[in-house]
Amino acid sequence: MNTSSMAVTSNGDEDESSTIRSSWGLAVRGLRNIRRLPSAFVPAMLMPVFTTIAFSGTFAAITELPNFPTSRSVNWFMPLGICFGSAFAGVGLGFSAIRDIETGFYDRLRMSPTSRWSLIIGPLIAAWSRAILICVFVISLGFVLGVRFTAGVTGVATLVAASLGIATICLGWGLGLAFRFRDMRGAALMQLSMFVALYLTPAQVPLPLTTGWLHAVARINPVTNILRLARQGLVSKSSVDSLSWANTWGGLVAILGMSILALIFAKRGLAKLDK
Amino acid sequence: MTVAIATRQTVALTKRSTLAILRQPVLIVPSLVFPLFFAALSASSFSKTTRLPGFPKVDSFLQFTLASTVIQGVLFGSITGAAALATDIEGGFFDRLLAAPTARTGILIGNLMGSALFGAAQSAIFVFALLPFGVRVEAGLLGIGAMIISGGLIALGISSLMSAVAIRTGSAEAVQGAFPLLFVLLFFSSVFFPRQTMHGTYKTIATINPISYLVEGIRSLVLDGFSGLAIAQAILIPIGICVLGFVLALTELRRRLGAR
Repeated sequence: MNTSSMAVTSNGDEDESSTIRSSWGLAVRGLRNIRRLPSAFVPAMLMPVFTTIAFSGTFAAITELPNFPTSRSVNWFMPLGICFGSAFAGVGLGFSAIRDIETGFYDRLRMSPTSRWSLIIGPLIAAWSRAILICVFVISLGFVLGVRFTAGVTGVATLVAASLGIATICLGWGLGLAFRFRDMRGAALMQLSMFVALYLTPAQVPLPLTTGWLHAVARINPVTNILRLARQGLVSKSSVDSLSWANTWGGLVAILGMSILALIFAKRGLAKLDK
Repeated sequence: MTVAIATRQTVALTKRSTLAILRQPVLIVPSLVFPLFFAALSASSFSKTTRLPGFPKVDSFLQFTLASTVIQGVLFGSITGAAALATDIEGGFFDRLLAAPTARTGILIGNLMGSALFGAAQSAIFVFALLPFGVRVEAGLLGIGAMIISGGLIALGISSLMSAVAIRTGSAEAVQGAFPLLFVLLFFSSVFFPRQTMHGTYKTIATINPISYLVEGIRSLVLDGFSGLAIAQAILIPIGICVLGFVLALTELRRRLGAR
C-alpha cells in the first residue's frame, strides 16, 4: 500500500474521504494477503470445513437425543464451523497487524496523515470479506453434505449476520491484543481466548442438554446468543430454537455490544501504540 | 563401540531431551491443561449421550473420555521431541552429534526418549487428575500401569514418525506443519465418541483408522477391566507405530548421511 496516497487534509469532508480511501487501501491489502500469504488465511478456511465434516460425523448420534432440535448433525455443526472460521478470519487480521508491527510497516502507517480509525476500519472490511468467503465456501460444502435451511433465505441471512458479528468481535479483540503485546505472544492469547469463548457455549449440544458447570457458564456467555442466531435457520421449525424474533434479538444485541467493546479495545490499544 | 558405551550415550541424550522438554513450560502447560479442559467440557456437553443406543456401559461420560484425554494429550505433546530434533538440525548440533563417535540409533532413541517419558507422565497425570471426579478404572492399578506404559509408547511412536519428517526436512516448521495430520487422525477415529454410534462412510473411516483400536484398547481397560485383547491393543499398536517410525527415521538418517 502506498502510504503517500493518504493525503493531509484540512476540512472535515476531505478528512472523511481520506479515512475512507485509507480504509479501503488497507482492506484491499488485507485481501491481497490471502493470495500473497495463503498460510495466514488457509487455516481460517480449513477450520470450518474440518469442524463441519469431523463433528458431523463423530457426533452424528447426538441428534437421536430427545428434543434435539434437528435430525441432521451437519445442520447443527456447520454454523459452529462457520463461527470458528469467522473468528479465525478476525484474529487472522490481528496476526497480520503483529507481523506489520514487527517488520516496521505499521510505523509507516502510523506516521501517515490519516485518521486512526482507518487502521481499524480497513482490517474490519478485510475481515468481513474473509468471513463472507468462508460463508460461501462452507455453505456450499454444507449443501453437498446434506444441509437444509429450514428457514430459507432468512436462515442464510441470520447465519451470515452471526458470522460477520463474530468476525468483527474477533478483529477488535485481535487488533487490541496485537497493539498491546506487539509480538507473537499476542497471537497465542488471541487463539486461546477465541477457542474458550466459543467452546463455553452450547457449541456441541443444545443448552438444555448440557449439564453441570458448562450449563451455568453457557447461560451467561453472550456468545451463546450469537450461536443461537447462527443456528436458528437450520433447526426444525417445530423446535423452540427455530427462526423467530425471540431467538434473534439476543444475538444481535450480543454482537452489537461485544463489537463496540472490542473495537474500543482496539482503538485504545492503537492509542497506546502511538504513545 | 561396546554396548555399555552406546547405552551411556543414549542415557545422556535421554537426559538432555527430557530436560529440554522440562525447560519449556510453554509447551508442557498447554499439553496438560487443554486435554483436561476438553475432558471437563465433554463431560458437561455429552453427559446425556451415554443413554444412546450402542453407547458402551459407563458410569459417566468422564469415565468414557479418560482414554480420549490420554490419547489426545500424548499425541499433541509428542510433537515436541521431533520439533526439538529439527531445531538441533537447524542449529547444527545434530551434525556435531553425527560427527562424534556415537551410535546412530542411540542418537535417535536418546532424542525421542524425552517425549516418551513425558508421554508416560502425561498419562499418569490425566488418570490421577480424573480419579477424584468419580472416574473408575476397572482394570485397577495394573490397568493404570498399562495406560502409563501405553502413553509412553504412543509418544515414542509418534515422535519417531515425526522425527522422520524432521530429519528429512531439517525444519521445525515442517514438523509443526504435520501437526494437523494428527488432528485429522484423531477426529476420524473413535477417540471422542464410540464407533458403535457412528454411521456410513464415517464409521468405515474410523474402522480402518488404527487410532480407533488403540483408544478402544485403553478404553476397555477403563470400562471393562483387564484383558489380553485390551493390553494387546493398548501396547502392541504403539509398539507397531514405534517400529514403523524408527524404520522411517533411520532410513531418512541414512539418506541424509549418504547425501553428504
